Amino acid sequence: MLKKIHHVGVVVQSADEALKFYRDALGLPVTDDRVIEDQGVRGVLLKIGNSEIELLEPTRDDTGVAKFLASRGEGMHHICFESDDVHAELDAARAKGIQLIDEKPRLGLAGMICFLHPKSNHGVLIEYATPLAGGRH
Amino acid sequence: MSIGATHIDHIVVASNNSAATAKLFSENLGIEIKRVMSRPGTGAHMEFAKLQEIVLEFAGPGQPKEGEEPKARLGGFVLAVGDIDAAVATLRKRGVDVGDAHPAVQPGAKIAGIRAGTHGVPLALIQYNAMPAGNDPAGS
Repeated sequence: MLKKIHHVGVVVQSADEALKFYRDALGLPVTDDRVIEDQGVRGVLLKIGNSEIELLEPTRDDTGVAKFLASRGEGMHHICFESDDVHAELDAARAKGIQLIDEKPRLGLAGMICFLHPKSNHGVLIEYATPLAGGRH
Repeated sequence: MSIGATHIDHIVVASNNSAATAKLFSENLGIEIKRVMSRPGTGAHMEFAKLQEIVLEFAGPGQPKEGEEPKARLGGFVLAVGDIDAAVATLRKRGVDVGDAHPAVQPGAKIAGIRAGTHGVPLALIQYNAMPAGNDPAGS
């Protein structure tokens, strides 16, 4: 069962530039800032209420985030729903015939994550996440 | 220092067929559509789901154009603030191009759009209970 919206993902050209607005102007606190090498992104999470804003800066040109930036420019990329059991959510999506990007959950900035294909949701990219026990990894 | 943003108030899913997109999200994700609203004469049709503090708003025409497949995109989000006039003033001091706070569609609420510098995200601030009773042009 989906509990809440964990974060909204925003693709940016430069996380440092975007932080001037989201951190410095809006005053939102940064809770995580890491490069995820295998996904070719720098991800920055900013806390707002019970959710977060995730800034995604591509660090390579061959990733989905880089291709999104090249084709559409900066902007909203995905919405992430939190669940206690990302494996069960993925199984349920598969059983409904929803097209998947990830066949099994993998480690991401928000914990164990997986993506549903936007084709199955009228073009909107959906992520499921189960944060790791004990918080950030 | 914060501008007093307490949470994401709502996220807009803009669709060329908002009823169909809301139905699909409900079926695929198991979220419950709690409210449906249409604006007569405009063709605008909104459906709303809520997960904890955040409203997911499906917005657009309720009927697609003939032969058009449903298509949606994330259309921005709105941050709730405790004092919108103070938040606007603070943002302007920090060099952000933000509009004046004005009455929102939501009764008693005021809203202000951030016009630039959001890195491609349509973004606004909202304060509920911002106007005293009887002084609400939105018609509460």
